[in-house]
Formats: sequence, C-alpha cells, structure tokens
Amino acid sequence: MPFTKESVEEIASLHGEPDWLRTRRREAWEVYERIGLPDRSEEEWRRVDFKGLDLETFAAFEPANGAAPGLPIEGAAGVLQQRGSQPGQVELEEELRRKGVIFMPLSQAAKEHPELVRDRLFSEVKADRDKFAAAHAALFSGGTLLYVPDNVEIERPILGQYWSSGGGAAILPHTLIVAGRNARFNYLDEFLSPSLDEPAFTSGSAEIFVGEGAAVGYVSLQKWGRHAYQFANQRAHIAKDGSARIFNVTLGGRFAKVRCEANLQGHGASAELKGVYFASGDQFFDFHTLQDHQTGDTTSDLLFKGALEDTARVVYAGLIRIEKGAAHSDAYQANRNLVLSDHAKATSIPMLEIDNNDVRCTHGATVGPVDPMSLWYLESRGIPTATATRMIVQGFFGEVVDRIPFEQARHLVEEELEARLG
Amino acid sequence: MAVAPKINVGDDYREKYGFFDPEKFVFKAKRGLTDEVIQEISWMKGEPEWMTKLRLKSHAIFKKKKLPTWGADLSVIDFDNIFYFLKSTEKQGTTWDEVPEDIKRTFDKLGIPEAERKFLAGVSAQYESEVVYHSLHQKLTDQGVVFTDTDTALREHPDLFKEYFGTIIPPADNKFAALNTAVWSGGSFIYVPKGVHVDIPLQAYFRINAENMGQFERTLIICDEGSFVHYIEGCTAPIYTTDSLHSAVVEIIVKRNARCRYTTIQNWSTNVYNLVTKRAVVYADATMEWVDGNLGSQITMKYPSVYLMEPGAKGDVLSVAFAGKGQHQDAGGKMIHVAPNTTSTITSKSISKGGGRTSYRGHVKVYPGANHCKSFVKCDALLLDDESRSDTYPYNDVDAENVTLGHEATVSKVSDEQLFYLMSRGITQNEAETMIVNGFIEPFTKELPLEYAVELNRLIQLEMEGSVG
Repeated sequence: MPFTKESVEEIASLHGEPDWLRTRRREAWEVYERIGLPDRSEEEWRRVDFKGLDLETFAAFEPANGAAPGLPIEGAAGVLQQRGSQPGQVELEEELRRKGVIFMPLSQAAKEHPELVRDRLFSEVKADRDKFAAAHAALFSGGTLLYVPDNVEIERPILGQYWSSGGGAAILPHTLIVAGRNARFNYLDEFLSPSLDEPAFTSGSAEIFVGEGAAVGYVSLQKWGRHAYQFANQRAHIAKDGSARIFNVTLGGRFAKVRCEANLQGHGASAELKGVYFASGDQFFDFHTLQDHQTGDTTSDLLFKGALEDTARVVYAGLIRIEKGAAHSDAYQANRNLVLSDHAKATSIPMLEIDNNDVRCTHGATVGPVDPMSLWYLESRGIPTATATRMIVQGFFGEVVDRIPFEQARHLVEEELEARLG
Repeated sequence: MAVAPKINVGDDYREKYGFFDPEKFVFKAKRGLTDEVIQEISWMKGEPEWMTKLRLKSHAIFKKKKLPTWGADLSVIDFDNIFYFLKSTEKQGTTWDEVPEDIKRTFDKLGIPEAERKFLAGVSAQYESEVVYHSLHQKLTDQGVVFTDTDTALREHPDLFKEYFGTIIPPADNKFAALNTAVWSGGSFIYVPKGVHVDIPLQAYFRINAENMGQFERTLIICDEGSFVHYIEGCTAPIYTTDSLHSAVVEIIVKRNARCRYTTIQNWSTNVYNLVTKRAVVYADATMEWVDGNLGSQITMKYPSVYLMEPGAKGDVLSVAFAGKGQHQDAGGKMIHVAPNTTSTITSKSISKGGGRTSYRGHVKVYPGANHCKSFVKCDALLLDDESRSDTYPYNDVDAENVTLGHEATVSKVSDEQLFYLMSRGITQNEAETMIVNGFIEPFTKELPLEYAVELNRLIQLEMEGSVG
C-alpha cells in the first residue's frame, strides 16, 4: 500500500471508520499534498537535516508480523498491544470497565464513542502544522483512546505498546487520552522496533485532555530502531486546576523530531514537562517544547536533560509564552546537555516571551563535558575513570529520572539508561 | 484692464547683459538612493576610486538583500524617502521651537548646558569644547594615537584605512551593513599603536558635531598589540533628530594582548529606527568589552559581537535596554568562539515599562576544534507593568569538546518584598521603584564614567516618574 490518496481511503475502509473520520483523513491528505517539506530557512527547521528521507517510498500500512516482545512493565491495569499498523489487542481490568473506563484502538473508538473522539482528535495536534503532521493525520493507523470518567482514580498504570518489525513502512500510532473531572491515573506508551536496513517513517503523537482537577501522568518511551525517522507531536490541554506530568524518553531512531507542548487553559492548571535523551552513533534529535500560559495562576516546570556520544547531534529549542492576561504565572525551563565525545554537537535555545509583569519566569541552559573536578574526586577515591564517568552520568540523569510520574516507569527508564551506558 | 507684460528676468539675461554666475557644483539633497547619489556623495568627499567602487558594489548588495524576517517589523521603512547625505549646513532645518516639549524638559532636568542642548536637539550643527579637545588631542598625537573622524582618516591615513575597512563587517553581511557601506559618512577612526595605553576614555562627545553623529556613521578602531583604549559613543541626554533611520557600522580589531572597551549610550528620540552592526575580532590573549546601553529610539536592533580568533581571547558584552511606551529594544550579543581556550560572558539587563517591549537575542557559537572554551550568558528582565513585554531568544551552538556553556535568564516584576521594605521606611512607591530599577542596572552604571552614571540615574528617575501602578 503506497503513500497515496487511495491508501487513505483503504485505511479508512479497513477499520470501517465513520464518515466524519474518513473526511478528516481526506482533508489531512489534501494538506499533505498541498504543502511541501518544511522550508529549511524557517527557524524551527534550520538545524534539521532530513535529507535522504523520501516520504513517497514508504508503505502506508504494515501488517502485523514478527515476534511480540514482552511487556516492559508488570502489573498494568490495562494493556494495548499494537503490531505494525494493525489496531491493537486490549486487556483491561473488569473493575475499571465497570467504572466506565474506555480503552480501545482509536479506529474502534471513533465508531463506538464519537462523542469522545470527534471534537478532540487532531484539535491539539493539528494536521496542517507541517507535512509530517499531515501525513500522520491522514494515514494514522491503530492508535489508542483512553477515557477515564469523572472522579475515577486508577492505581496501577495503563500501558500502550507499539511494535514494528518491518522496515520501509509508515508506523503512525496516535494516542488520545481524555481525563474526566478529578480523574487520576498514569499512562505509559512504549514504541519499539529492531534496527533494520530499510528506513521507516514513524510518529508516536499524543493528545492529552486533562479535565478540571484531574491529574495525569504520561510517559513516552521511544526505542524505535536506528532506521526510523520519527516525527511526533505530544500536546496536553489542561483545564482548571488540572495537572499533567509529561515525560518524554527518546533513545531510539536515526532521527527524531519531537514537539512536547503544554496548553495551560484553566486557572490553577499546572504542567510538568520532563525529558531525557541519550544520543549516540549518528543519531539526530530535535526537541521543540512549548509552555503556553493562556491564563493566570498557572505553573509549568520543564527540564530536558540528555547525554551525547560519538557524532550525535541534539537540538533543544523551548519557549515559555505568557499571554497578556496570565498574571501570577510561574514558569521554569531548563535544558542540560552532557557532551561525552569530541564530535557530538549540542544546540540549546531556551526562549521566553512574556506579556505580563506579575509572573515569575526563569530559564537556564548548559552544555558541558563531565565535570573534571567531580571526576578527579572520584578517581582520588580509587574509582577507575570509566566507572567514575559512568557514575557521574548516572547522577546527571538521576535528577530528571526521579521525576518520572510513577515507579514502574522510573525503573524501566533507569534500566534503559543503564543499558545504554554499557 | 491692461495686462502687465510678463518679464522673465532669468531669460536671456546672459545674452542681454553678458554676465553670469560661474557654474558651481552644489550638492542638492535628494531623497532616495541611486548609483548617481552615491557617486555624488563620493565625489563630494573627494574619495579615492576604490571607495567609490566599494560604495556602488554595496548598493547593489543592498538592493539584493532581504530585510530580516525576525525581530521587529522593518517593512515600514521607506528607503526611497530618506536623505542619504546632507551637508551639515543643510541639516540646520530645525529651530528650537520645533523641538518637542518632552525633550526640552529632559534637558532641563538633566541640567545640560545651553550650547550642548542646541546641538543635541539638532538646532546647531556644531558643539565643540575646543579647549578640552585640543589639549587632549596634543597628548594623543604625542603618543602616536590617531583619533579623528572617519572621513578625515580616509584622506590622511589611506593605507591603514584600506587595510582594515570593511574587513570585519563586509557589505554582504546584512542589508543594513550594505546600506551603511554604500552611504556611510562620519563616525570615528582610532588607531592605538603598539603598547600604548590611552588613560582617559576617548569620547566622541569631546568633538561632537553633525559629521560625527550622522545617520550612517562608520567607526573603525584598531588596537595594536598590547594597547588599551576605551571609547565612548553617544550620551545620556536624548538626541533629537528628524531622521527616521540610523544605521551605523562599527568595526574593531583587537590585536594580541590588547584590550578595547567600547561604551555606547544610545538615547535617540523615539521616532528613530536604530539598526546597527557592531563587531570586533580579537586575537591571542586580547580582550574586547562592549558596554551597550539602549534607552531611546522607537526600534533598536543591535547585537554587538566578538569573534574570538586565537587562544586566550576574551569577549564581554554588558547590555542594558530600557523600553518605554511604543519602544521595542531588540538587543543582545554574539560570541563566536573560533579558537580553543577562549572565554566569553554576556550579561543583559532589560526593563520594560508602559507597554514597551524588550527582547534579548543572542548567539553563542563554538566551532569545531575550539575546545576548552567557556561561555556564560545571563539575562535579567524587569517588567514594570502588565502592558509591557519581555522576550529572550538565546541561541547556543556547541560543536567542540570540553566546552562549558551556561545560560540563565529570569523575568520578574519589582519584588513586593523589596517595595514593602522601602516603603515601610517612609519612601514613596515611586521613589522606591526608581531605587530598585537603579539597583537593577547597577552592574551597567558602575562601568560608566562618573558623569554618565549620574546622568543615567537621573534619566531613569525621569522615565520612572508617574509610572506608579
């Protein structure tokens, strides 16, 4: 199934999607055909090199195949496993089902629960943002809806797992999370594939709607193979007194262009945006973050930390925007890069646009090697250089890993980072 | 009624009476920019051919280059409606009565002498404190220092001039650098010989005249090995001009072990678009310091930069911006680490008030191989009311090993606790706020010569008056 208009129709038919969704896919495809690749003279794309990426060469759909990997965490309250582009298999605790929790592939949800999906899908992650977002909206397949009704609290995390085993295809899952008033829960999305020769076009976008007083933890763990080009948009819409804790872990892919955004819409809303990345080999990661304070009494706290090895390149660009009426807002933004090799390159651009004076905004960025004083201290205690370096890197990540919203994910990320440190 | 016969005195006058005025070339100011205007400017100044050619080439580049797409909106500038060159005599179009009230009031409050006021307001073209200047000039000449206006330098020091002019900021650097190179006039030229320390700050102020503070001034400073100079441009008092565009270029070369400090206090009247390119190249163990204060103008876009070319080079930018009603100060600094073991710091302080907007825009770039560099950027912004706006756009690019780079910024209002403390001591809110603002920019004022610092504090006081709210 090639990257064509026919494929858009075919995917819609395959899942028996309602007409409104088919129309929406068609509209996104029109945008895809109309707009070109991003202009590299534009600020956001200046440092992004997607040379060698030819969207037309990808298959629009990957059938389920390959051996299913194990689950990353134990004791999840619900699990959705997607293979290739095929809508996933769902398990959900009976008790949660009784409480009205809805957890199912997005295509099925569009049919069965249009009232939850229709107005929200692609309202925060817009199809016309760029050509890649348009492709995602036109050709997304499978994906997830999680709806947690008012006042429902879920103790154990919910898990989505997306696995791909074939190269040359587009794997475009979309996560839609809707948290009712005062709902409380944690969610983990895991994206993974082996490293293959043929490139793949992947996303892993998420729209998270946090209702009044609700508290949502969302962790995205990206471990696509080194053949993957990832374009993901993760965005939370946070209502009055709601809180979102978004944690982005980027480890895989040959190329990752990730936007991570908090749209603070209601008084008292708060957002935590945290990220951790480890780039090695010839990986290229680009993170654009946004803390959009639309109203007053809102808080946001951002910390993106990462290490760079070999000839890896990382770009971080983040913006805190405080709108005119957003008095008593408090925003923090920090990006820290640990450069472990001579040839790695880090760019850090933390930006502020402040339109109100009754606020507190602070940001910081650092790029630097392993601190020689710390290294010297450890070595003077008889610890070999390699071990000492490793300890310092672990400590560096510790600050942000400790902020992962729930324990299971924290252990998982710690293990992943351990594995990368070798 | 009889119709009076029409007599045209000019007609066949020559034939009839056999005499005529000798044809004199008088430069007639025209609006707009053409190759002819540029050739006339160059001819008027009696410039060598290479300069005329450079001007024309720059004009071609100017026409080709696009306006920057970032920062302030510059599309309102009407390049065809600008006088690109005026003789100083033609400039005296303004009379004291035409000078806006608020500017006159500020002169009063600052206690600026009468003669100086007229100059600053554009009423008179010359203001020279002859005595001070001449004794100073003698001392400098004895040391071998050249301190003159840039036009004179081209005539009197052609070799030195040609060696460096346009090498730091080539015309193709940006649209406004191209414009400046095409139509430049005035500015300062300084050459400090090897090992010479110039003890007192050189101020354009000593010999200010219209040539010196032109619209398209061009400054070139060469600090030879082991030398030191401090140059001060502008003044705290507002400068009234009817020109809407000020586009200067400043090039500085700091050779091994030398140190150069360049202090600017920009206080153009609030109708001016101030678009300035400033750049220094710094060699081994040498230091460049930009101390840059922006108070006036409608829009300023200015990012003094330092290219650290050899190990041990050091760059400093200290930038202060104050944006009041209708003003947008887009200022910052650039540090380009080309060589290893180079260090830089940028400190930016900005204050927005009454709907003004300040933006810090900076770039720290570390090239491959420029290992063991250190750079630190700190930006503090103060917002005095809820109509004002502050932005921070720092770009940090590191492409070398063992580089330590840090950036920090804060945006806040005047702290309630500080205000409460001062007011509990019987100080009015307005006075308290003024004190806090003066304290906020102290790192800047303490780098200024005393008379400037005093004037600046007074000026802030004036700006703050009636800002309670």
